[in-house]
Amino acid sequence: MTALFAFCLGAVLPPADGLPGAKDCDPSGFLRRLKKESPLVFRLSFYLSAWVLVISPLITVFLPLPAFLLPKSLLDAHVMRMSRSRLYGLRQALLMVKTVAGMCWGADPQVRRALGLKPYGEDPGTWRTD
Amino acid sequence: MTHYAYQTGRETLELEVDYVVVGSGAGGGSAAVTLARGGASVAVVEAGAWRDPEDYPYTLYGAFRDLFDEWGSSVTMGRALSPVLQARTMGGTTVINSAIVVRTPGDIFQLWKDQVGLDDPDMPETIWTYQDQIERELSVCPVPTESMGRSNVLALQAAENLGIEGHVIERSVKGCLGQAQCLQGCRAGRKQSTNVTWIPEVRRRGGTVLSCAPVRRLMHTQGRVQGVEGHFVHPQTRKKGSRFQVRARRAVIVAASVTHSPMILWRSGLKTPALGKGFRAHPGTATLGSFDDPVDMTVGATQGMASTHFRNDPGLKLETLNMPLELIAGRLAGAGKTLMDRVQNYRNLALWVAAVRAQSVGTIRPGIGGKPQVFYTMNKADMLRLRQGSIQLAHLFFAVGAKAIMPGVHGLPYALGPDQIHLLENASLDPRAWTSILTHLFGGCTMGAEAGKSVCDFDGKVHGTEGLYVADASIIPSVLGVNPQHTIMALSRRIATRLMERNL
Repeated sequence: MTALFAFCLGAVLPPADGLPGAKDCDPSGFLRRLKKESPLVFRLSFYLSAWVLVISPLITVFLPLPAFLLPKSLLDAHVMRMSRSRLYGLRQALLMVKTVAGMCWGADPQVRRALGLKPYGEDPGTWRTD
Repeated sequence: MTHYAYQTGRETLELEVDYVVVGSGAGGGSAAVTLARGGASVAVVEAGAWRDPEDYPYTLYGAFRDLFDEWGSSVTMGRALSPVLQARTMGGTTVINSAIVVRTPGDIFQLWKDQVGLDDPDMPETIWTYQDQIERELSVCPVPTESMGRSNVLALQAAENLGIEGHVIERSVKGCLGQAQCLQGCRAGRKQSTNVTWIPEVRRRGGTVLSCAPVRRLMHTQGRVQGVEGHFVHPQTRKKGSRFQVRARRAVIVAASVTHSPMILWRSGLKTPALGKGFRAHPGTATLGSFDDPVDMTVGATQGMASTHFRNDPGLKLETLNMPLELIAGRLAGAGKTLMDRVQNYRNLALWVAAVRAQSVGTIRPGIGGKPQVFYTMNKADMLRLRQGSIQLAHLFFAVGAKAIMPGVHGLPYALGPDQIHLLENASLDPRAWTSILTHLFGGCTMGAEAGKSVCDFDGKVHGTEGLYVADASIIPSVLGVNPQHTIMALSRRIATRLMERNL
C-alpha cells in the first residue's frame, strides 16, 4: 500500500526541469514515518484522498483505469483535471494529497538546494521530561 | 517547582493545590502566572508536551507532529471544509502564532454591553491597564526594520501607494532574527510564548506543571467543581500512561482553547443550553503575488505588516504571511507538471492575507471519539467581505508592481493581471470555490449576563456551578476584527485577579 500512496505523491509533484519530484524524496520512508506518527484521522483522510486519486480517471480522463496504469501524459492530465473539477470532493481529495506531498517534497534538501533555499536541520522530536 | 511529564505505572498521580489551570496558552498562561504572583499554589495541566526552543522542529511535518492539535487536520463541517488550526503543546497557540499584539478596540466593549449585557463600566480601563503590563512583560515592540523581509516591506509600500492605513506589526518578540519560522515555533527563542515566559515563572514561584496531560473530565459534586482528572498520553506514541487527579481547594480555571474548553465541560456533564454555541472566527483567504525579482518568503518576520483600514467597513484585516515551501506546494492551484512549473517560482512569490470580521455563527459539538467538531458555514455577507478582501489584496499587489496575482479561487484563471481584477469582482460566493482557513477562534463558552444565553458571567464563572471558571478565547462573545491574543491574555488576567480578590 505504501508504494501506491508514494505513487500518488509522485503524481502531484513530478520531477521537472532539473527539480526533483516527490518520488525522488524517499516518499516510502516518509510514508512509513507518517503511518507511525500521525493520528488516525489525519492518516485516514490522506489514504482516502489517495484512493480517490487512484480510482477517479474515469471521471477526469474518461478511462476506466486506475491512475497508476495511465501513461505519463494522461496521468498529468488526470491530476490537473482533478484540480479543476467541478466536484468539490475531488478537489479536496487532491488538496489533501498535495499537502502531504508538499511536506515530503518541500523539506527535502535536494529540492531546497535546487530552489536556492537553505536546507532544514533535522527535527529533534524532543521534549522536556523533567 | 515540580514538572510531571508523561508518567507510566498503575499508581494515580494525586495532587492538591489552590487553583488548577487547564491549558497553558494565552489564557491559561496568563491566569496561572497571575495566581502564582498572588501567592496561590497553582497547577497547570497541559495536554501537549513541554518543548523548549531547541526542541522545536524545522519542518512543517515536524510542526504538525510536535506542535499542532491533531496535526492541523481538524476541519469545519458545513458547506465547505475549512481547517481549524490550534496548538497542542506547552504554551498553546502562542508557540505557533506570530505573537501579534493588538489592544482590544474600544468598540468591542460597547458591542458586549449592547449584545450580551456587559455591566462593568470599568472593564475597558482594566483591560487596557493589564495590556500595558503585558506589553512590558513580553517585550512587545514593532518588527525591527532589519528583520522585515521584502514581502512585509512591499506590503507597507503598497498601502502607502494606495493611501490606505498600513503599519508595522507589534509583536511579543525580543530581537527578531527574521527567520520566518513563527509557524514552527521560534528556534531562535525570540518569541515570548508562554512556555518560555509565564509557565517557567509559575514553576519558579512554586507552582506545579503537568505536561502530556489531557484533562478528560472535571470532578464535581452537587454543582461544586473540585478538580480535574485524566490520563497522561505519550506525545509520540499516543500511548495512555498513568492516571492523574489534581484537586483544587479554591477553583478550576479551564483555558483549553475554543474547541477543547466546551468539550471538557460537556464530557463532565456540565452542559448548559449555551454550551458549544456562539462559535465565531476570522476566516481568512490568501492571495499570492508574483514579482520579477525574488521576494524570499523564507527571509523576514513571518508577519510584519497589517492594515486595519477596512476593519469597520466592510470588516477586514489585511496582513502579510510568509509561508514555507511545503505549504505553498499545496496552496498553489494545479497538480503534476503544471504545479511544478508554478512552484519553481516560489522565491518570487509573496503571500498576503485578508481575514474577515465575520458575522457567521457556528457550533461546537462532540465528534468522532468525543473530539470537538466545529459546524460552521460562512454566510453570503461574509463571503462578500472575503471577496472584497481578495480584491483589496489584488490592488495592493499591483500597486507595487506584481506581474500577476494568484487568488486561488475555483472557476477563475490561475493568474490574473492588473487588467483582470474585474474577474475577481464576479468570483463565485460559494465557500467551496475558495481556499479559506479559520484563524482567531472565539466562543463556545461565551460570557454574558443571562444564564440561558451564555455559559459564564463576565468574571468567567460558569453559571450554576461553584469553583469553575473559563479563561480563554471561548468566553469571547464576538469577533474582534483584530488579532485576539492580547485580549485573551488581559481578560484572563482580569478573571484571575478578581478570583483572588474574592477567594484569598
